[in-house]
Amino acid sequence: MSTPRPPVAEPALPSEDGPAALDCRGVDSGYRDRPVLHGITFSIERPAIYVILGPNGAGKTTLFRTIAGILPPTAGEVLLRGVPIGRPASRDQMHYLSHMDGMPDGLTVREGLDFYASIERATAADVDRVLDQLEIREFADAYLSKLSAGQRKRVSIARIFLVERAIYLLDEPTANLDPKVAREIRTLILRLSQNRIVLYSSHNLFEAREIGQYVLALKDGRLTLFDRIENLRGAHFVIGVRTLEPAGALAGWERRGEYYLRELSGPDQVPGLIQELERQGVRLREIREMENPLEDLFT
Amino acid sequence: MSPPSELPTLLGTTVRRSLVVGRVSLALSCFMVVIYAAGFGAGGAILISIGVYLLPIFAVAGGIGGALVYSNDRLKGVLEYVVAYGIGPRRLLINALAASAVQVSIILVLGVGAGVTTYLLSGHALVPGLWETLLGYSLPMSYLAAGLLTTVGVYWTSLASPRSGMNSPLGVLPMIGLLPPGAVLILALAAPPVHVAQLVGAAELAIFIALLVLWTHRERFMPAERLLSPG
Repeated sequence: MSTPRPPVAEPALPSEDGPAALDCRGVDSGYRDRPVLHGITFSIERPAIYVILGPNGAGKTTLFRTIAGILPPTAGEVLLRGVPIGRPASRDQMHYLSHMDGMPDGLTVREGLDFYASIERATAADVDRVLDQLEIREFADAYLSKLSAGQRKRVSIARIFLVERAIYLLDEPTANLDPKVAREIRTLILRLSQNRIVLYSSHNLFEAREIGQYVLALKDGRLTLFDRIENLRGAHFVIGVRTLEPAGALAGWERRGEYYLRELSGPDQVPGLIQELERQGVRLREIREMENPLEDLFT
Repeated sequence: MSPPSELPTLLGTTVRRSLVVGRVSLALSCFMVVIYAAGFGAGGAILISIGVYLLPIFAVAGGIGGALVYSNDRLKGVLEYVVAYGIGPRRLLINALAASAVQVSIILVLGVGAGVTTYLLSGHALVPGLWETLLGYSLPMSYLAAGLLTTVGVYWTSLASPRSGMNSPLGVLPMIGLLPPGAVLILALAAPPVHVAQLVGAAELAIFIALLVLWTHRERFMPAERLLSPG
């Protein structure tokens, strides 16, 4: 299990002087009869995808709602470039995508995007652009209520492409989606994250590994870790090898189902291992990561 | 990055959406009010005098769209987003009330139009006091009762803890808006004519005061955390 580490202060962007892009200082927050977050302190300056990890009830959604200015902190403060949340100057710096679709009933896809465009002060041309960008033009005139969950999520995500912001808060954007659609959404978000700060909550460890550069772990409403994901990867990296036919060279390896297991010091050792196995005549079918070091954060 | 500027009211969009979301109750009320108004109009003075007391009931039943839009928006997470962007409870309530008022207006125009037209086409003479009752009771009671329904519906939606996947937490709440015009209808038919004006005035004043009290307490009934989506 990873030892909780103090939040890491990242160096400032070369192009940005002054206060951090996002600064949480001793934030307590929650609901009238249920405090959830306790003393959350971290500072983010570098554009990247920051995955907020934690089991259900850890406080991920509450953290997003607090940063988004919906739930006022009961203690501490949240600053966006030095401006307290809740003011227009801070709202204009971020997009918030809640865990719900947030798409209004009674409108078509295009009208729904127009609805958000009016709030975001985006133009009709912006709506047209995201219809193509998100490949949703084919059902632009369909009512939102008639779309599948995946289509609705895609439309929902389209709205955060209407105008650019510095900070994106994405609360479990791939929850309840089939793997194919989830992968498409992750690809879109990766594209979005160029030079942007993206806070992305998930309880999917493999997704966190795939998409994130940093991880913030929440447990019982407290921040238990803030670090680069790659620092965690090196700590415990187990891969599984599946072969096309029985391989004598792997006879001594531990097995889990169809996979032969091997612990490495890090992912950089994988190419060398593949070469070694091929030299020994092993016909590889698949190599995958079997244990995710982020699992430790949940235990 | 966009410079900070005035937030949109979302009024037009809310009104338009209420016509779509509340289309079933609106269409039903429009159909019924035209049938009844035409029938009562053709029936002569006594029937049309009753018809003006029925009018608010149809108007309120069809004016639920504003509350429905609010209710849907909370369940679908739309409120969470607009609140994050700084659009507050006051604006949301105004939008719901305005949407409801538009629907009520549609029903009133159809009802009054159908009733008066058939009444006059049937060769009846204008009844003294008919217009006074329309202007003094039917119209204001329609808007007031629909406003009560919408306000209570919005507050109820805010305070309820709907399960994820629920269609609407409103349930039978729309009945609240039907109670005042329903009660006045029954009492007006039973009361001596001289007391009807007082009855009507008292009912309208009571609803108006209730609306004022509810309006001034909107922050209590619509705290930001109660606008969040469930789940």
